[in-house]
This record gives sequence, C-alpha cells and structure tokens, in this order.
Amino acid sequence: MSKKAIEIQFNWIFVLIAGTAILIFFTVLVVKQKSLSESSTKAVVLKSIESIISGASVTIDTTKIENIPNPNIEIGCNKISVGNLPKQHQNLILFGPRLVKGNGFIWQTTAFNTPYRSTNLLYITSPQIKYVIIGNNDLAKDMNKSLPSYLDKENYSSYQDVLQIKNSNNYKIRFLVFENIGLIGNSVPAAFTKMRDEDVTALKIEGNTEKGTLEFYQKKGSSWISLGTSAYIEKSSLFGSIYADTLEVYDCNMRNTFARLKLVTDVYYERTKKLRDTIQRQECKQIYNNALNQINNIKILSSDFKPENVNNLVSTAILLSVQNKEAQKFSCPLIY
Amino acid sequence: MKKAQIQIYETIAVLFIFFLLVAIGFIFYARIFKSNVDIETYESSQKRSIAIAQRVMFLPELQCSEDNIIKDNCIDLLKLEAAQKVMKQNEIYYYDLLEYSTVNASQIYPNSQPAQNLYSRSAQNFKNSFTTFIPMLLLDPRTKSNSFGILTIKTETK
Repeated sequence: MSKKAIEIQFNWIFVLIAGTAILIFFTVLVVKQKSLSESSTKAVVLKSIESIISGASVTIDTTKIENIPNPNIEIGCNKISVGNLPKQHQNLILFGPRLVKGNGFIWQTTAFNTPYRSTNLLYITSPQIKYVIIGNNDLAKDMNKSLPSYLDKENYSSYQDVLQIKNSNNYKIRFLVFENIGLIGNSVPAAFTKMRDEDVTALKIEGNTEKGTLEFYQKKGSSWISLGTSAYIEKSSLFGSIYADTLEVYDCNMRNTFARLKLVTDVYYERTKKLRDTIQRQECKQIYNNALNQINNIKILSSDFKPENVNNLVSTAILLSVQNKEAQKFSCPLIY
Repeated sequence: MKKAQIQIYETIAVLFIFFLLVAIGFIFYARIFKSNVDIETYESSQKRSIAIAQRVMFLPELQCSEDNIIKDNCIDLLKLEAAQKVMKQNEIYYYDLLEYSTVNASQIYPNSQPAQNLYSRSAQNFKNSFTTFIPMLLLDPRTKSNSFGILTIKTETK
C-alpha cells in the first residue's frame, strides 16, 4: 500500500472517531434534556396539586376543572405522586381514586362542619372516570344533584338496568349503589368484565345525609368481592367515599379529618371553659357546663375514626347544637 | 512537516475550536439556567410564604364564628388564647401546615399590646425569609368588643 493511501485511510478513521464523538455528545445532550423536560412537567403538575391542596383550606364549596394533559396523579394515604415524583404529607385530606389520568382533573372542596367547621375536605377525580348512580331514594337523588356536572355520571333506578349498559372506554368505572341489594351474588355488568379488577369498583351506601354505612367492593373476574366496611358522617365525607376508590385511602383521610376535629375541639373546650369561668350569669354558666360535657365527648369520639364513634358523634353534635341555641336564647356568647 | 501531518493538526485545531465554542455555549446556558432557577426558587418561596399566611388566616382554631357562620379577617381572642396552648402541645402536627414560620398576633388599637406568639419554628441556614402583616379584627366574645390587631407571619425557606 502506498504512503498516500495510508494517509487517506488514517484521515477517514480520524473523521469517523471525531464524528462519532460529536454524535454521542449531542445524543447524550438530547436525552438528558428530554428527561429534564419530563421531570419539569411532572414537577409543574405536582406544584399545581400542592397549590390546590394549600388553597383548599381557604376555598369552601368550590368545584373546578384543571386542564393539564396526562396528569397521571397517584393518590395514596398521605401521599401523592406524579410519575416518579412523590410528595409525602403528615396529615393529608385528599380523597381521590388510585390514579387520575386523562385530559385534566376535577377538584372540589367542602367544609367538614360536624358540629363546627374543623377543616375542608378536598376531592380530586378525572373526567374520564364513569360514576353510575344506582337507586331512586332521596339520598341517591340528592347525590346525583350534588355531584359536579363535569363528572361523567349516569343514573339508573335498579341494578338490573345497569347490567345492560355499554362500555364507553372509561379507564375506571365506579358504581354507587343506593338500592337496597347485596352485591355479593350479583354479577359485574358484562361490558366491564374484561377491565382490570381494580378499575371496576362499587360502593354500597346506606343512610341519610347526616350519617350512614359504606361497603367498598371491587370486581374479581365477573363477580364482586367486598373490601370492607366503613361509615360516613355528613355529605362531605360521603363525597369522599365516592371519590376514593379504596377503603384504605378513605379511612386514612377520615382519620386525618378526625385528628383535625380533635385539635379544633381542644380549642373549643378551652374557650368554653373560659366563657364559663368569666360569664357571671347563672343560666349561661349552666349552658356552658352542659356544653363542656358534650365537647369533652366529641374530644373522646374524635380520637379514633370508627363506625360506632360516627353514630355517637352525630348525636353529641345535635346535643351541642341545642346548647348553642340555648346560649342564643339567653343572650349568652355562643359556643361556636 | 509533511502535508498529511499538517492536515491532521488542522483538523485537531478545528475540533478544538469547535469544542471550545460548545463549552463556552454551555457555560453561558448553565449561568442563565442557574439564574432562572434562583429566580424560580425565590418566587416559589414567596408563594409558599403567602400560602402559609393564608392558612393561618383561615385556621378554624382562630377564626370568629357565630352559629357556625365564619367571619372573615377576624380572630376570636378566646380561641387565640386556647390555640396558643393547643398549637404548642401539637407542634409536629402544625409543622405540616405552617412549616418554618413564626406567627404572632398583636393588638394595635385602641391600645397597643405586646404580641402573643402562636407558633414558632425556625429553620437553620435558611435562604429566604418573608414577613407578611395582615390587619385583623380582634373580637372578645364575652364583651362583644372589637379591636384592631396585626397578624405577623414570618416564614423561612431553605
């Protein structure tokens, strides 16, 4: 081989190495930039949820739809994550399905007012989840009216009618059963048997707008299995049970709600004690003494979230509201 | 020096200048990126501070209410006294809400009174600190008398 030919070949090898180095350099750059931009989008979604959570303490009875494409929000007990970005909270009150995806998400807030306002409850869901309301009692009608219009919801008077419905490609479907039937033994509507088990859930609701019992179900093949029972207190926590599709998330949020109620009750207890000790009128003193008993009961009942405590809490709240009315009647400073 | 050697040195020089320019570009980009990150961190600290101030303003532990109807921008003095005790006893719980901040309430009219501390938790080596002053009505439910006060919320962010 001539000297000239070796020189040309060496030049080509050199160009090849340099070209490959430049190509690798820019490929690495693009890949890094892509992952950075993805993380940044996830961080924006997480930030937007965080600001909703923080604003939830300020806004009451608000419903809004946020148009963020593919939010992919995972909701757990005291935890939210967007992709691989998690955010842990100590006492998070956020009711929602395990996964929120689609073209955005709907959020709603309501106040927890039993017996006085102690916190706001925040709910998140996706417009691509179908909610099927079954039953025609007063509570079913009330919930159909109260649930936001942005939701994909349908109303049927009996479970038999639901068996015929078609699958409209929602990624999750939740049946809200107000009808007095047992789901065990009834089959899952045929259109949804091919969906993943955790994406087809049902909630059996028995009670009124003040309190009631809940049973959480999930599809297993073509039949229903019970995940456990719980209780709700006032409409705000009933909303929570509708949005949270697992018993674990619902109970976790209710425990946090009760923990907050306990702290607010501690404040009302001290305040009522001060009122009793400083107001001289005997009729007022009597009212405050009665109220202190009720508030003390609320303190005990709110220390743990369980169905029997829910029932007692409702009756104690009624007794306390009677004392509050009495205070108003005798022109004493109100208890709450 | 042979022609081929000169060509190789020429190519190396071109590559060196090319990478030098890329490196300069990178340094420039990194500096702009860093300054943007600093601005965003500052803005996010400011937003967080406002969020904490809002949370304090709407704490049911402090807000005036009558028959469960909330009165905005009003602090119940009896609740304030009770909340001081409750918040101190449950500092870890309130840290999740109020993070690194100091919350004080003081009466300024008709007579000025020393500030009452509600919550205090300081951050070590904090980066930004913001103080928000919120004028509030202070209500004594026993006498139904109102006075003017200031809620001071100082937040520290790392």
